[in-house]
Amino acid sequence: MTLDFSVILDNWQLFASGLWMTLVVALLSIAAGFLLAIPVAIMALSHRRWLRTIAGAYVEWFRNIPFIVVLYIFFYGLPFMGLRLPEPVVGGIALAFYASTYFSEVIRGAVLAVPKGQLEAARAVGMSYFMGMREVVAPQTLRLLLPPSTNTAISMIKETSVLSTITVAEITYQGLVVQGATFAPFEVFLTTAALYWLITSAFAHGMHRVERAAGAAQGSQQARHSLADKYLQLGMRRSK
Amino acid sequence: MDFDLAAFGDAFPRLLPAALTNLTIALVAMTLALIGGTVLTVLRTTGIGLLTGAIGVLISFIRGTPILVQIFLFYYGLPALGLDLTPIQAGVLAIALNSSIFITEIMRGGLSGMDPGPVEAAIALGVRARTIWTRVILPQLYIRILPPLVNELTTIVKGTALLSVITVVEVLRTAQQIANTTFRPLEALLAAAIVLFALNLAISQLGRRIETRFAARRG
Repeated sequence: MTLDFSVILDNWQLFASGLWMTLVVALLSIAAGFLLAIPVAIMALSHRRWLRTIAGAYVEWFRNIPFIVVLYIFFYGLPFMGLRLPEPVVGGIALAFYASTYFSEVIRGAVLAVPKGQLEAARAVGMSYFMGMREVVAPQTLRLLLPPSTNTAISMIKETSVLSTITVAEITYQGLVVQGATFAPFEVFLTTAALYWLITSAFAHGMHRVERAAGAAQGSQQARHSLADKYLQLGMRRSK
Repeated sequence: MDFDLAAFGDAFPRLLPAALTNLTIALVAMTLALIGGTVLTVLRTTGIGLLTGAIGVLISFIRGTPILVQIFLFYYGLPALGLDLTPIQAGVLAIALNSSIFITEIMRGGLSGMDPGPVEAAIALGVRARTIWTRVILPQLYIRILPPLVNELTTIVKGTALLSVITVVEVLRTAQQIANTTFRPLEALLAAAIVLFALNLAISQLGRRIETRFAARRG
């Protein structure tokens, strides 16, 4: 069996339109998911117990079920409530809700990582809780937010492939279409995978530069004996 | 349309046995992934440039692409290369490979935070590399990384639902079959979501218990 990548070139337009759909859906649902995560994180950080309980239940529920199930529930649930929307919109909404639970945990973690004294100092000089959060705590969370947000965003880019199951014409869907027409599954899905690889790598690279520009925390590694280092570092380059 | 409570309740007797399929697939895949992850971790320390380079590319590829596409690559792609697999086999292998990569990354994180003292001592005593791994590093490492490993198992359980797409009859596909006869997809799907949620909750609770038991031994 020889690999024949001409089937890919013959169908490049399908892959290109799939790529565009993936980018649009991923970008919009990640942005919406992050915005949606802010009130969830605020609730999760509240000193009112019932607010924390609601936020906790929301986060635990979505995080413990597969995205494909969430997607199907939205796909059948929205028309059930009388809302008929195009598939890409339904998929985007489902992904935004799913992403919001992951982002809310990222935001919560970043806020908790800011020393408590910062907010207390803000309160002591007469700022209200929200003003202290906004003016003192929030700016300090930014560089803590970036690395885990990048990871979450990459996970969500990958989750967009599941939208193919509700016929959203993104990369994976186009891959299935091309494979059905050409019967060259290995070439087709390798190409499909390569396109995602390209998107996630480019995104990770771009975000890494943003992190560096934002002066994200440079963790200092503890010094180790070089031989022990051989075992404990896996021969990979050290993170600086 | 109203929510049909009867259809919702009736789904559970069929979904619960199907959950055993998810759990079995997840446990088999997890076992394979633990072995694969450990082998990859050891191989990465060999320092052979070509090998670590190849593993690096594999890690980047698996982490940078959706697991659904990896499942398709195994399910549709491998038969085209002459390797015939049942849907379950293809699914288990795809999930296991995906998870091996995430586990070797977890192990790397665990290793870099480990106290180098015992390893140095073993090297000073002239202990063989193999023994250093099996007696010094791995036992500590597995205990250290238990929490992320439990987390990985819940991720695998979520991955098993994707196998419904390649015709494996697990919880989600069973829910779809129920919906096909009752015309009540939302009820069946919500029931499926609850079953999978309960399964993952049970795993993370069990993990937390084991974790507190080992907490004293954590390095």
